Amino acid sequence: MKLRSVTLCNVRRFAGTVEVGPIADGLNVLSDANEQGKSTLFDAIQALFFAPHGSASKEVKSLRPYSGGAPEVSAVVETADGVFTLSKRWLGKAQAQVHRGDRLIAQGGAAEDWISALVTGGEAGPSGLIWVRQGLLGLSEGTQKEREATLNARRDLLSSVTGEVEQLTGGRRMDAALTLCRKELLDYATATGRPRKDGPWNAAEERLAEVTARRDALQKAVEDLHDALALRKRRRAELAEIEDPQAIALRKDRLEAAEKAFETAKTHADALASQAQKVDIARLSVTSLTARQTERREVEAEVAEASAALAQIAARCTVSRDAVTEAELARQHSARISASAQTASKEAAALCRKVRDHAAARQGQARRAELAERLRLAEIARSAAEEARAQTVGGLDEKALRQLERLASEMQQARAVRDAAAPQVSVSYEAGQTGRVTLNGAPVEAPLALPEGGVFALPGIGELHLRVAGGEAQKAQVARAEQAFHEALAARNLPSLDAAQRAAEQHAAALRRAEEAATRLETLAPKGLEPLHADLAAIPALTSDETLPDADAAENALVAASDAALSAQEADVRAAATLAQAESRLSGDLAAQAAAADRKRRADARLAALPPEAPEGLADQLRRAVLTLEAEEALLRDKSAAAPDLIGAKTTRDRLRSVAEKTETERVSLREDLAKLETQISLAAESGVEEALAEATETQTAAARTLAHIQFEVQVLRRLLDALEQARAEARDRYFAPVAKELRPLLHLLWPDAELEWEDQTLLPSHLVRDGQSEALDILSGGTQEQIALLVRLAFARMLAHAGRPAPVILDDALIFSDDTRIERMFDALHRQAGDLQILVLSCRQRAFRDLGGHKLVLRPR
Amino acid sequence: MCSRLILGRRGGAFMAEFRFIHSSDLHLGRRFASMQQASDDNLRGRLMEARFDAIAKLAGVARAEGAGHILLAGDTFDTPAPSAAVLRQALAAMRDEPGVQWWLLPGNHDNLREAEPLWQHIAQQGGETIHPLLRAVPVEIAPGVTLLPCPITHRDMGRDPSADLPAMPSPEGNLRLGLAHGGVVDFTESGAHIPPDRDRSARLDYLALGDWHGGVEVSARTHYSGSPEQDRFTHGQRGHCLSVTLTTPGQAPHLRKVETGTFLWQQKDCALLPGQDAVEVLQRLLPTSGRRAVLLRVLASGRCRLPDQAALTEAAAEAAPEFAYFELRSDALALDYETADLDAIDKGGALRMAANALRAAAEDDAAAAEDRAIAGAALGRLYAYVRAGAE
Repeated sequence: MKLRSVTLCNVRRFAGTVEVGPIADGLNVLSDANEQGKSTLFDAIQALFFAPHGSASKEVKSLRPYSGGAPEVSAVVETADGVFTLSKRWLGKAQAQVHRGDRLIAQGGAAEDWISALVTGGEAGPSGLIWVRQGLLGLSEGTQKEREATLNARRDLLSSVTGEVEQLTGGRRMDAALTLCRKELLDYATATGRPRKDGPWNAAEERLAEVTARRDALQKAVEDLHDALALRKRRRAELAEIEDPQAIALRKDRLEAAEKAFETAKTHADALASQAQKVDIARLSVTSLTARQTERREVEAEVAEASAALAQIAARCTVSRDAVTEAELARQHSARISASAQTASKEAAALCRKVRDHAAARQGQARRAELAERLRLAEIARSAAEEARAQTVGGLDEKALRQLERLASEMQQARAVRDAAAPQVSVSYEAGQTGRVTLNGAPVEAPLALPEGGVFALPGIGELHLRVAGGEAQKAQVARAEQAFHEALAARNLPSLDAAQRAAEQHAAALRRAEEAATRLETLAPKGLEPLHADLAAIPALTSDETLPDADAAENALVAASDAALSAQEADVRAAATLAQAESRLSGDLAAQAAAADRKRRADARLAALPPEAPEGLADQLRRAVLTLEAEEALLRDKSAAAPDLIGAKTTRDRLRSVAEKTETERVSLREDLAKLETQISLAAESGVEEALAEATETQTAAARTLAHIQFEVQVLRRLLDALEQARAEARDRYFAPVAKELRPLLHLLWPDAELEWEDQTLLPSHLVRDGQSEALDILSGGTQEQIALLVRLAFARMLAHAGRPAPVILDDALIFSDDTRIERMFDALHRQAGDLQILVLSCRQRAFRDLGGHKLVLRPR
Repeated sequence: MCSRLILGRRGGAFMAEFRFIHSSDLHLGRRFASMQQASDDNLRGRLMEARFDAIAKLAGVARAEGAGHILLAGDTFDTPAPSAAVLRQALAAMRDEPGVQWWLLPGNHDNLREAEPLWQHIAQQGGETIHPLLRAVPVEIAPGVTLLPCPITHRDMGRDPSADLPAMPSPEGNLRLGLAHGGVVDFTESGAHIPPDRDRSARLDYLALGDWHGGVEVSARTHYSGSPEQDRFTHGQRGHCLSVTLTTPGQAPHLRKVETGTFLWQQKDCALLPGQDAVEVLQRLLPTSGRRAVLLRVLASGRCRLPDQAALTEAAAEAAPEFAYFELRSDALALDYETADLDAIDKGGALRMAANALRAAAEDDAAAAEDRAIAGAALGRLYAYVRAGAE
């Protein structure tokens, strides 16, 4: 759209009709003094495009002429579809019309729609106007309404920039779609995607959980009801079976029969037990009589046997006593013979020993002499050794000598040191001079050290006494050495070192002698002298010469005597054994005789203890008792054969009693169960639990369907929201490129290399980046802000022009803070853009804008 | 009212006519909890009440038809243990109809096993005019008319519930009137169905069946009466009952279908072709009157464009309040995403990019069906947003 002319009638100071135009393409400048109507023109144009003709807003009322009346504004615009005249009148006979040539194509609301579509672009997208109002510096300044209008206009503008970024961010429709989508989604879910607590999604989930729980509970109740019905049916059948009269009678008859059978069996069993007792008594009688008969017979036999045994053993005792007497005599004889033989044997042995000792003494005399000689020499060696060792006691050993020698040496060394440090003297005798100087009596020839306290004898002169000063340390050393040496000699009571050396030699000689004597003694008596004395004593000395028999004869006599003694001893032993044997036999027989007598006494006592009874009577009693037993046993067998089964009868009776009791218990239990079941069934049936379950099931199905529907709805909204946000993000990325492209050369007119940063949500520039520094727009100077605002609008306008929908740029004193230098550059920018755009500049700065150039406009009455 | 025996002359002999009302599947006590209803609506209550009203309507039909007996072929109650209110009010409603004998056969919903307390109560307190048929034994319900009932003993009997009919005796010359509940089609091949020729094998003059809520003629003598008040979208007709007239044994019965239903449950297909005016197609489906008593489910299918879908949805929303129930199901309706429709969202820019992305996702055959459906719905929603904004 391009403006070609604007006409004002009854607008503020213009009581009549004024017109500005024709308005050319490119740059148009209306520069006039203040209060000439520029801002009135600006407001009139804005009202024409944005204030509905029916409006009585403050802005509209502000257009009224001072003299009153209805303000009218019209404009001729040119679009791609042709040239149109737009006109509006407000407040009185309000009207809006659109003409094409002379033809009215829309009026009233339709005209408003037409104009609105022209400004906003309608379905094809907005084209709009670009405004910079006087004093409106920043893009985001002005009233809230103005800011919103500016932002909306911006988005509309942005959304119709070029073909390739058609509508870009989607404009207000995108905002509306996003708002609706978010709002609907927010009704369901929180920002984190969970069901909103007070939202329908959460309510549907809770509802489903609630009805599911209710349904489950009802299902359980229904199952319980069905179970109760089935159970009641079973219980009824069981009770009917129990309470069946035939069954009751049958149970009663069977129990009575069992009781009777048991009583019969029990009576018979008692009789049988009584008969068994009789049998036991009869059997006991037989057993007793038999035992008594047997015992008497055994006792009588024992008495007889004991009498016979006693007589037999008495005869054996007599024989044994005779044998003992005979053996005693034989023993006495043999003992005498053995004692005589023993004596003779001992005498022969003593003589034989004497003969042997004499022979041995003769054989040991040489040995005895040799031992006596060795003992004598050994005694001599021992004495020598003891004497030599006595000599060594208190002697000077080698170690002590070495110490004395070391002390003598140290003394000599000290003296030598002292002498070396002492002044020396020497005498040089004249030739032919025979006299000699003596020192301490000794002639002095060669140089010698001056001795302390020395006295020189000077022949012919006298004596010279020396006192030598110095060498105190050496002298002290000599004194200490001499003291040590002499103290060592004194400690050993020795006069000199030579004496010490001699004493040491004597000590060593004594030691050697002692060792030699010891060696000899060791050789002669390796085990000492005592063994030698013992060996010598062991060899008997030869006794006196007496008459002794021949050794062989003595030996033979000894053997004969020994043999005789041995034989006599053996005979004595045999006799003793015989005697002992006889005595032993006698003892045994006597013991046996006593035992037999005792046996006889006990048998007699037992026999005497038995009751006096004739044997024939006992046998008769036994015979009668046996007959009685046989008769009772026969009776018992007969009764046992006829006895009924008592255990079986008792078992049957107990079982039937148990059945009766159990049946009664069961009957009572069944009645109680049935009563409970009846109540349970009645309550459940009357409460309509099945109905409630059917309803709950349907409700659950419906709730699940509702929840599924909501979940699907949430998914749909999320999917749509994702798609919209993703598309807008992509479009926004594509939006900044063309804006920056158009804006960059304009910015560089003022600030080389400057860039603008854009706020993401408002789509407005927020920062200016210069020389790498980012500065917020609201802290920049007013001049800089207005320059940026103008440049950004020019960039937008240029993009619109490239999109084929040029939008007029109307600037009402848009540069009031810019200095001369900057304003020149802004003029360059305006001219740079004017080639593609229609720019309408309104300014009161006539002189400053004189250099702007462009097409001059004037307001002239019509 | 007494049984109406209409004497007439046919073939030279006096023949007695016996007329009765055949109905089934009242499902008293059903609560319709799955039915969505507006918060200010009482659809469920109305539906429940209509089922109770069926008792009076059946009695009214009987009186109008001159029939003294109403045979209910099973499922009189929706559940084996209806609430005391449902049970007693139903019995009271039956007792309130003079001259009508009610013969109640247990069906699978109110089978003997699970509904033992129910039938026990009816037997004990039902009254003289209410006859629960609890055993498969013949009952002479009128002179010359023997009713042969086949009560359902278990929810799933596992056998032909009419199997006892052939062996059931009846006096010579009596009309044999069978009463059973179950299907005649054995879908499960379990053998638990009623043979279609049971009327012949059991020498029946009429076999009154229940279980099928729509009326079906199995043979000339075998009929399902259908429910007197429909409760589902399956049958597309109002509930009704059968007025059956029997003459002599062996003669075909005379039937008259009498409408008794209050509500009409209908399910209609709305098949759309690209280019068709969806709203017009929908409008043609809608009944022109009596909508308050109509429950309508429209199954949209075929293909349409975004504007058509939006228009269809709007038209359905517009019409819905006039109906007792209205449901538009669009699951089977495929969308064609025309470029012109996407242009209506936006010719370019972010909105168009979003629309294109959703369209691609909706048409992506490689994607899961659910994801495609979500993307398609999201695109439809975007179209609606933009369209609403434009308005």
